[in-house]
Amino acid sequence: MKGYRDYFLRKFAWFIVTVVVAFTLNFILPRLMPGDPVAAIAARMAQGMSNATGVQAVYEQYTRLFAIDKPILEQYVVYIGNVFRGDFGYSISQYPRTVADVISASVWWTIALQFPAIIVGWIIGNTLGALAAYVRKGFDKVLLPLSIFLSNMPAFGMAIVLLVIFSVDLKWFPTSGGYDYAMIPNMSWDFVWSVIVHYQLPFWSIVLITIGGQAIGMRSMAIYELNADYVKYARFLGIKDFKIIQYVFRNAMLPQITGLALSIGTMVGGALVAEIIFNYPGLGSTILTAVLGGDYPLISATTLIITLMALVAFFALEIVYGLIDPRIKAAQSD
Amino acid sequence: MAKVVLEVNELTTRYITRFRESIYAVDHVSLKVESGKSLGIAGESGCGKSTLALSLMGYYFAPLHYTSGEIIVDERNITGLDPDEVRKTILGTEISYIPQAAMNALNPTRRVINFIEDVIQAHRPGITRTEVYAMAKERFELLGLPAEVLHKYPVELSGGMKQRTVIATSVILSPKVLIADEPSSALDVTSQKMVIKMVMDLMDKGIIKSLVFITHELPLLYNVTDDIMVMYAGQVIEKGSAQEMVFDPIHPYTKALMGSIIVPEAGLRNVKLAAIPGTPPNLKNPPSGCRFAERCKYVMPECRVASVELQKASEGRAYRCLIPEEDLRKAYKHEK
Ligand SMILES: Nc1ncnc2c1ncn2[C@@H]1O[C@H](COP(=O)(O)OP(=O)(O)OP(=O)(O)O)[C@@H](O)[C@H]1O
Ligand SMILES: [Mg+2]
Repeated sequence: MKGYRDYFLRKFAWFIVTVVVAFTLNFILPRLMPGDPVAAIAARMAQGMSNATGVQAVYEQYTRLFAIDKPILEQYVVYIGNVFRGDFGYSISQYPRTVADVISASVWWTIALQFPAIIVGWIIGNTLGALAAYVRKGFDKVLLPLSIFLSNMPAFGMAIVLLVIFSVDLKWFPTSGGYDYAMIPNMSWDFVWSVIVHYQLPFWSIVLITIGGQAIGMRSMAIYELNADYVKYARFLGIKDFKIIQYVFRNAMLPQITGLALSIGTMVGGALVAEIIFNYPGLGSTILTAVLGGDYPLISATTLIITLMALVAFFALEIVYGLIDPRIKAAQSD
Repeated sequence: MAKVVLEVNELTTRYITRFRESIYAVDHVSLKVESGKSLGIAGESGCGKSTLALSLMGYYFAPLHYTSGEIIVDERNITGLDPDEVRKTILGTEISYIPQAAMNALNPTRRVINFIEDVIQAHRPGITRTEVYAMAKERFELLGLPAEVLHKYPVELSGGMKQRTVIATSVILSPKVLIADEPSSALDVTSQKMVIKMVMDLMDKGIIKSLVFITHELPLLYNVTDDIMVMYAGQVIEKGSAQEMVFDPIHPYTKALMGSIIVPEAGLRNVKLAAIPGTPPNLKNPPSGCRFAERCKYVMPECRVASVELQKASEGRAYRCLIPEEDLRKAYKHEK
């Protein structure tokens, strides 16, 4: 286990280094823009906001928040302190709500939509891909082109197709929103039902695209593994096919975990299109409003979240791989 | 006469490619291995040695298909048996196998002991982990392998150790016949010797009764096996005792193979080194006459016409050539 501890520590050190670099870039880049960011914000707000008190409050708050009158190093320290307290200042486009408030209200919608969709798509996609590799014949002939079609379909295309078929034509599902906006969010059965109904189209649009990509990857990995020498040897020693299939799928699955971590890590970015088309109240829609409204504090907080999520996902991935894949374990030990 | 452990009569198998072409890689091959005896199979790359090894086990899956002939294992005819029955009652226990690519023969994500457990459990469903471990440890130590190997993943083993692990795993259930497909060719000279000694030990220690040893280096078989069979383009071209085959080859191809060794074994240093010119015929549509005709020094016009049958020379000795054996011997003597 000592080898693994060293592996963990090394990966963790790299993780910290990348986080610090990402964090610093997130701080520096906006400040490399010509002029000072707060002045830029103020200038934009003068046109963007009608609420004069709001403009004033935001301006004062940012001067304090970023300590722009102080040297850059001190600004950085202040920034770190703020971030750790979850203080990202006010949102410009949704004043007087704070950035933290806007994000925490929307991030759960995104997670609740994306996380299950990715997991479901991943499981179905891998199962279908594995079956196609094992069964081949007709099943494979249907699944492969279908998966290629699905995975190459742009996210907005998929969303629009579902939208047109199931809500415009068939009228089975609502066209937009996370719930019926005539309702006030509460724990009643009616409200929950409304959430469930609104959930379906964005959910399946993500699931379908995920299925396509995962099925293709799993299929080719499994075909490769099925032809491996160890499969032949195991067969000729009389091991049951069922057992051999377990070997094959486990080995084919390991690289597929990368795909899973990738999707989870880049969930927010991936959510953008589906959320925007279905006008879903998640982080994706929030980013769109932030960008359109020039809501600089909100943009910078969301980029930080996106970066951190991706980094955490990759770190977790490496840690898990080191544990479950002896090939990587061995490669790391020398 | 000792009991025959493995008998194969006129076995023909073929690969069916994805373009629906048939490649007859094993063409009417017959052989017999008695208890306590070993048979060596030699021939150039692509002549069908590995295919024969797989075909001998009576367990076929695409692209390899059974065509005709019979396989008798320990007096039981296994031809046409239900594949699952073959798997349960023949593979691993009656006939076992060391694959040519032993370096990649083990599942990379499974510890050696877990793989051995799977092998044993496939044949003895009720066996416990402790029993499996005891069996594996006993066998590994008997074969001079440290028991720690059992807890390792294949990637953690060196090439030679992996090879020996595969050998020990193949004989874990004390099979009657072991088919070793070039168990030593991917290794350096020292490991090669070690592996060959290990395989021979399996017989001496009574773990296996009979051995089929495949190699592309004919001279290597001398001192290793009792009998030798030389294959060419899917067919048996000559067979006999090791002594006769090495020192008194009849068929021009066997003769040429004796001259094509790269590293002469001790005692064989006077044979001259020469590669055989030309290449073997394509097995998709082999020539109608003698398959070796294209490359044969002694070729006659009739060689290319009628197919040449295997003919008996002396007891246990046969060769596939139109020229009488005395004439061939005379020609060889002349050359010297
Ligand atoms: N999976 C396959 N599909 C189609 N043809 C095959 C397949 N495997 C082998 N063959 C063909 O069958 C013939 C015999 O191959 P085989 O592997 O048995 O030769 P070999 O004597 O073992 O050669 P080597 O010394 O290189 O191992 C060759 O012509 C080869 O091209
Ligand atoms: Mg071979």
